[in-house]
Amino acid sequence: MSLFFQQWQGELLKLFARRRTYIGFAAFLALEIAILIIFRLKGVERVFERMIARQGMAFEQYYSALTLAFMILGISVVLLGAIYLALVAGDIVAKEGEDGHYRLLLVRPISRSRLLLIKYLSCMGYTFVLIQFITWSAFGLGLALKGWGGGFFVMAPEIGLLSFYDWDFGLQRFALASLFLSCSMMTISSIAFLFSCLPIKPAAATIGALSYFIIDRILKETGFMENYDHLLLTKHIVSWTRLLVEDIPWPIIIRDYTALAAVCLTCLILGIAIFESRDLKS
Amino acid sequence: MALLEVRNLTKRWRNDRLALDDVSFDLRQGEILGLLGHNGAGKSTVLGITLGMVRPDGGEVRICGDSVQQHRARALSHVGAIYEAAHFYDYLTGWQNLRVLCSLSGWWDETEARRILKLVNLGERANHKTKTYSHGMRQRLALAQALLPLPKCLLLDEPTDGLDPEGIREFREFVMKLRAEFGMTILINSHLLGEVELMCDRCVILKQGRKMYEGPVPSQEKSQSAFILQTRDIAKAREVISAAAATMDPVTSKVELPTHTLGHELLKLLVESGVRVDSWQPYKPTLEEFYRQQTGL
Repeated sequence: MSLFFQQWQGELLKLFARRRTYIGFAAFLALEIAILIIFRLKGVERVFERMIARQGMAFEQYYSALTLAFMILGISVVLLGAIYLALVAGDIVAKEGEDGHYRLLLVRPISRSRLLLIKYLSCMGYTFVLIQFITWSAFGLGLALKGWGGGFFVMAPEIGLLSFYDWDFGLQRFALASLFLSCSMMTISSIAFLFSCLPIKPAAATIGALSYFIIDRILKETGFMENYDHLLLTKHIVSWTRLLVEDIPWPIIIRDYTALAAVCLTCLILGIAIFESRDLKS
Repeated sequence: MALLEVRNLTKRWRNDRLALDDVSFDLRQGEILGLLGHNGAGKSTVLGITLGMVRPDGGEVRICGDSVQQHRARALSHVGAIYEAAHFYDYLTGWQNLRVLCSLSGWWDETEARRILKLVNLGERANHKTKTYSHGMRQRLALAQALLPLPKCLLLDEPTDGLDPEGIREFREFVMKLRAEFGMTILINSHLLGEVELMCDRCVILKQGRKMYEGPVPSQEKSQSAFILQTRDIAKAREVISAAAATMDPVTSKVELPTHTLGHELLKLLVESGVRVDSWQPYKPTLEEFYRQQTGL
């Protein structure tokens, strides 16, 4: 086991020594600031004021740091999350091949399966850290603007949710939901990882993974697959928002995350099988 | 004893091109073996299969008795290698690159790493990013990574590619030092026949995926079976030589001895027959000449 961690440490050293790793964090912070500026516009605030007032609640109390953080998080992940994670995961195997690094890595006494498992775990770890960074930086920006306290107004049209919570309860649910969002986004990384194991360019792996998700989303949004929507990944991915329902529907959440875990595992196994069968020679 | 056994390797690429056809050879403990052949002869494919980078259609490679095809990690724990051009992580320093690569072997010893970096003359630049390294420095770093942790056997694929003459000389001296000091067994795949001739004990010549020769480097062969004769009595000399069942090339004056006849015995016969011998020198074909003969180029 210590050998595995030693090998993983090497992979993490590579990941965190790369400037591009941090550019991702900076890009998300910039996006969040931009979204926050938009939310401060009078016109936008009025829309939320009407929405909250229509439910008989006080706008000043519920347009809080938590509410802003939740909205910034949702928009950031939709706008940039999938693209960025597909980019990172699409690179993780294919880029090493393109740059010729396998000629150095695989002359070492390590099996291809183990090398890929290390890369996969690093990729999942990065996904988790990035989503948590987006979550808590959004919360930090919300705090800077609105301060501690207030209520939590949740609006998640994907599952038809509109709720109001007090600060402490809302904060707990926000934290719990962010953990599940991290797990949801690992599915996108896993699909990109699978494409990355194919003998194709890194950009092609990223485009392949994104195309899959865009088609999946289109099929979900158009209702074309209404009777078969359990086959669509995006249906299961949005399940993180169910953690914000007052009585958490655990059976549905467990079903959705079991499906996502199965997809992740399948991607890993298929990726390893494809990579194992390849001849690595220029 | 064979440290590395290559047995009946066969490989056909997806485009149906035959890369290797039943290639077998041994790398014995403590020897330096040169793998020779022109582009596309199959040298890198042999090395690729030896390192588990390429899957053979048939055959097997064993390193210290462990099959690369069945127990890759265990077999490769005995070797250090440079396979094709070494591409390091440009955004990492030489030291960090070594750290990342050694972590895959589950090994790291700072003192040993510093010693090896000093040995390859990179001690001063170890903390600079590899994107600032010259080609020669990258090759030396590649050699350093192959030596960490110190292996029993070193597999080098075109290690002098792109090096200037001074770099090639340094590399040759370093390889000889590795064998002298550590008793290391080394397989070198190279185009540079002159270098192989100077460094290697034995060589394997490949042509279009087939083994054409495996044996001592001709110029280092201890047994002497040919001589260059210089004489003014050509006709008489040819008579004596024919009578002794030897042959003489009229153009090059090369005399090939029959089996069980020694050079000094034929020389004695020539002198006793009254042939005026101006000179009688052992003939040592260069590796290039021998390579041309074997590959028909």
